[in-house]
Amino acid sequence: MNPWIAIGMLALVSVLIPVGMLSVSALIRPSVPEQGKRATYESAEVPTGDARLQFNTQYYMVALLFLVFDIETVLIFPWTVIYRDALAMEGVGLVEVLAPMLVFIGILVVGLAWAWRKGVVQWMRTPAHERRTTHE
Amino acid sequence: MTATPLPDTIADLLGVEGFLGEAVAMLLAAALVGTIMLTMTAFAGPWAKRKITASFTDRISVNRIGPWGLGTIIVDAVRLLSKELVIPEGVDRPAYDIAPIVLAGSALFAFAVIPMGSGIQLADPEVGLVFVFAMASIASLGLLMGGYASNNKYSLLGGLRAVAQNIAYEIPLVLTAASVVLFTGTLQLSEIVAIQQNTTLVTLAGVRIPAWFAFVNPFAFALFLVANLAEVGRNPFDTPEAPTEIVAGYQTEYSSAYFVLFYLGEFVHIFLGGAIIATLFLGGPGGPFLPGFVWFTIKIWAVYLFTQWCRSAIPRVRIDQLIGIGWKGMLVLSFANLVLTAAILGVTGI
Repeated sequence: MNPWIAIGMLALVSVLIPVGMLSVSALIRPSVPEQGKRATYESAEVPTGDARLQFNTQYYMVALLFLVFDIETVLIFPWTVIYRDALAMEGVGLVEVLAPMLVFIGILVVGLAWAWRKGVVQWMRTPAHERRTTHE
Repeated sequence: MTATPLPDTIADLLGVEGFLGEAVAMLLAAALVGTIMLTMTAFAGPWAKRKITASFTDRISVNRIGPWGLGTIIVDAVRLLSKELVIPEGVDRPAYDIAPIVLAGSALFAFAVIPMGSGIQLADPEVGLVFVFAMASIASLGLLMGGYASNNKYSLLGGLRAVAQNIAYEIPLVLTAASVVLFTGTLQLSEIVAIQQNTTLVTLAGVRIPAWFAFVNPFAFALFLVANLAEVGRNPFDTPEAPTEIVAGYQTEYSSAYFVLFYLGEFVHIFLGGAIIATLFLGGPGGPFLPGFVWFTIKIWAVYLFTQWCRSAIPRVRIDQLIGIGWKGMLVLSFANLVLTAAILGVTGI
């Protein structure tokens, strides 16, 4: 039978196990509501505002880079699978198998180097970095 | 390697046939795989983790209940499940409730295609390796959901850090795995294991050393170990939790059974990382004398010990250093590894 049905069965099991644990817990745990118990934890201070705020995610550009590289790994995988078979074929040289992928990876690495130079690939633009870029 | 997947073995044992019978056998097999992983996690979470950390810091740790304190596992399970559930104000439901299930479930789910030896492999699709990576990365979705839905600033920071970390180290991880696929020419996990076991690296004094990829390409192995530490969020890469900075990160507002699920999910995830490392680099369930499943267990526990060792021995990196190491170090090194492996394979024609 199709192996994906078995995999689907494990998907079922791996949802049932957490749900089962939650149900067991719901049966045996106490409920003692008290005033202030449900307050958001802010190191025992009175909470100020909620967490639905405008937030600098710091890595918006990095996330874009990630998308590019993630798609690129999808394109690399088929090449790795056929690599040795392609080398073993008659009349196919190393250059013909390897060079296109080198060019492909080369383009990506140039992109990474450019992003790096632009200071995109970091968590926060530190003052030291700002000084360095303005002095250039 | 055994060719029959676990559901067929169980169907033969029970003597069931037809669509319904096979479906029942598959469900039983899936339950068995789930139980195996839960059992390992039960040993790892409340007991082994404490014992290992205690050994590193020269303490005794749990030793009161049962031999070597093993009874702690049952006591802790009951204790944690019977805690009161405090759901804070303003949480975003149902995302708050789904996040722990996503985290624990996705990690368990990925074990569907892992060959555990002794015929314990639920299914063996041709795209096994890609499936494992796809399922393993769902966890960061759960972390982000939990972090955002908790309506807590610590949780929000933890969730965002978890995503930043996972996207920074996902690509080195997958690219390093791709360099293994260069050798094997297949993504089927049972084939990857078989190729490692059946190829001889060298014969030393009559003892055949199998060509495990950890021996063939140690550089890739080291890269993968480091990237895996970051993927499971353990020291030196535990910034998403960072107890000294942001309390407990994404799990700050979780209590009772929800907390158990987060905890469980993390440990299953560590074992999943260990299982991927064992399959890709350490010959999966292969080894002399002992049955395959025992070897598989030894290998993933060795990786578990490694993560706990790092937890005790290595200080945490800052979040900006972490992003720097990922994008400027690991990514470049993993590209170098892939290209060099391909070139060496091509030139030598092994």
